[in-house]
Amino acid sequence: MAADVQKKKGWEVQNGSLAPLDSLQLERSESPTPSMMQGSEPGAGQEGTMFVHTRSYEDLTTDEGPVSMGLKKGDGDQIESDMEQISKDFSELSTKLTGIPMDMEEELRENDSDQQEKPRRDSVLSSGKNDEDVTTDSWRRHKKQVFVLSEAGKPVYSRYGSEEALSSTMGVMMALVSFLEAEKNAIKSIHADGYKVVFMRRSPLVLVAVARTRQSEQEIAQELLYIYYQILSLLTWTQLNHIFQQKQNYDLRRLLAGSERITDNLLDLMAQDPSFLMGAVRCLPLAASVRDAVNASLQQAKAKNLVFSILISKNQLVALLRKKDQFLHPVDLHLLFNLISSSTSFREGEAWTPICLPKFNASGFFHAHISYLAQETDLCLLLVSTNREDFFTVSECKQKFLDRMRRRGSYQTLQEALRTPFYSVSQVGIPELRHFIYKSKSSRLFTRLCLPSPKIEAPYVTKEEKERLLGLYQYLHSRTHNSSRSLKTIYYTGTNENLLAWVTGAFELYMCYSPLGTKASAVSSISKLMKWIRREEDRLFILTSLTY
Amino acid sequence: MSRKKSQKSRGGGSSSSPATSARNLPPKDGARAGGKSCSPDSEVPVNGVVVPGRPSLSNSAEFYDMAFKVMLVGDSGVGKTCLLVRFKDGAFLAGSFISTVGIDFRNKVLNVDGVKVKLQIWDTAGQERFRSVTHAYYRDAHALLLLYDVTNKTSFDNIQAWLTEIHEYAQQDVVVMLLGNKVDSTHERVVKREEGEKLAKEYGVPFMETSAKTGLNVDLAFMAIGKELKHRSMKLPNEPKFKLHEYVRKEVKGSGCCKS
Repeated sequence: MAADVQKKKGWEVQNGSLAPLDSLQLERSESPTPSMMQGSEPGAGQEGTMFVHTRSYEDLTTDEGPVSMGLKKGDGDQIESDMEQISKDFSELSTKLTGIPMDMEEELRENDSDQQEKPRRDSVLSSGKNDEDVTTDSWRRHKKQVFVLSEAGKPVYSRYGSEEALSSTMGVMMALVSFLEAEKNAIKSIHADGYKVVFMRRSPLVLVAVARTRQSEQEIAQELLYIYYQILSLLTWTQLNHIFQQKQNYDLRRLLAGSERITDNLLDLMAQDPSFLMGAVRCLPLAASVRDAVNASLQQAKAKNLVFSILISKNQLVALLRKKDQFLHPVDLHLLFNLISSSTSFREGEAWTPICLPKFNASGFFHAHISYLAQETDLCLLLVSTNREDFFTVSECKQKFLDRMRRRGSYQTLQEALRTPFYSVSQVGIPELRHFIYKSKSSRLFTRLCLPSPKIEAPYVTKEEKERLLGLYQYLHSRTHNSSRSLKTIYYTGTNENLLAWVTGAFELYMCYSPLGTKASAVSSISKLMKWIRREEDRLFILTSLTY
Repeated sequence: MSRKKSQKSRGGGSSSSPATSARNLPPKDGARAGGKSCSPDSEVPVNGVVVPGRPSLSNSAEFYDMAFKVMLVGDSGVGKTCLLVRFKDGAFLAGSFISTVGIDFRNKVLNVDGVKVKLQIWDTAGQERFRSVTHAYYRDAHALLLLYDVTNKTSFDNIQAWLTEIHEYAQQDVVVMLLGNKVDSTHERVVKREEGEKLAKEYGVPFMETSAKTGLNVDLAFMAIGKELKHRSMKLPNEPKFKLHEYVRKEVKGSGCCKS
């Protein structure tokens, strides 16, 4: 706990160095790169876009009026009386908690008796992750806990520890939510003791995160939303609602059995991969000619019910083909990335699975054919069809694609391009630059510099370092996307690096410099970097959106 | 390729509706949808079988004379994927449990008495939410390997429900074999061998106990399936009828000794 306070203080001091923001902003407007219109920035698509456009936080802003419960440290008396009040209310609440008006309750009882649960599936419940003891300190020390529960307070998912052991904790969470809802209000977050407790209500589910990361409440909520979408992608919104309409105290873990790994993986990915923070898709840098060849082969391998053909490599987009007038949302693609990276078993054989793309259509399933092009490669082909019976047709499409790629030698070229996939610092020609993220807002694509570099000590290579760097970006992102007072530019001086962020209507740029560089040199290198991105844009981005 | 938008969005629609029978079947299976029987005395090769003399190239780039679809079914966590990996690669998937997503399709070519038989094996997810996809592919299967876990009583109790499901969705003459897996875990065993035998007898299906970990009876299970399917499709006049039950009874190894 003490460590937390310490950290927080240090953090604030660092913030102090951010003071002359106004002057920086002025400087920006006279910057060598003129403010661009959306659609004309480097990386913007040339002939329409690939993805659906939505505002990044659309889902959050649609919420009911926000209520923040700030429990300030030091106001001990205040807290205690609050807690007393709460615990007193709990007893009153317990009746409300079982949940429902009398008439509905009766209806439900009837339902219960009709619907005798088949005892048959119970064996799947026991097969779980190796569960951590939730009473230990190590459990409490996790940086971020995520819980999902049903409105009846039943556990659905917990990042660490078994759901059963946490059922009383989840009961308290539900109590908090219901308590405020009884007053026609809603709880959004609790900030106390270095922790942020963020609540997200997506009926019939409640998602809760307890975090002591540098993320803003908004960003944590965004992650919870991804977890919600992840659950939808397994069940569909329709099925999820139907189940709880039938039976309010249904144990959803029965249906989600075996998917814990996918959700765990999503949380791990979000802690390391900036895609989720950016709300954009990372492109695999590839020479335009190679990408064209891939696209042409994909176009040949079409079938009646195919909606999307997607070639990916390690959570990066290589090529995307879509049916005319059908658009994929970056969130849906992120869910597909996550699904594929969550299991090694896709490397063998061909998988065929129902999947809901909640942003495309939350009420139905697509069927996805997932296969790696070869066992030793990272190239994975996803063919998304509307027809459950399509396996053999779609499997043939994959074979056709692969045959054509091989025949024309494109497969070899692609494999070679993959072997040296990343551009390095030296290519950009800015010596102090260590890393950057550039996102084109109109195409929802982003690119980033990839380390390790051949430098003395390559930073941001280990998992911890990657997470630390993402944490810094998260901080810059939260400052530039704060709904009440967002910044356009920010320069941050840290002990290990200096960072600069610049957000315009057309693009977002986050740069990470060596701690020895000066602010002036950082600012002056922006235009150099932008020019480089423009020059390389057909390699770094997918500029044309193709249909079958 | 410009289909109406409305049609498309409906296509992504509800999965809870039962399989709408023979719509959009791939051409290969078209014949079967017409109600073709594969009775053993039929001279014509059974559906799905590739006529010898025109060898096909499978995914694994191996030639084969005939091909059959085999499906692995059973509760989640009984070891379906492990059994398949043991058979296909001769390895055991140690480490944590990864549940299969949807269905997983792999090929293996077996040499059955000099004939190359390709088994196209569907490894299915045991979880409830994948039921609709598994159902859709039951009727393509020529053989089903139904697994339970001898250390998990529930998985054994569920076998009856699985058999009911098989009866409902699979072809009439599908070859079914019951396998009690994980017999290497002698200490945790809760389902006796006799119980498995009794149940199998009741339903008239061959039975054996297997271990994906040690490899016990794994190859035998697939080989028996391969032999049965091969004999069914190539009924030669002077060849004695293949008796699957007898073959299994004769070849099966007890859990006491380990094969391969």
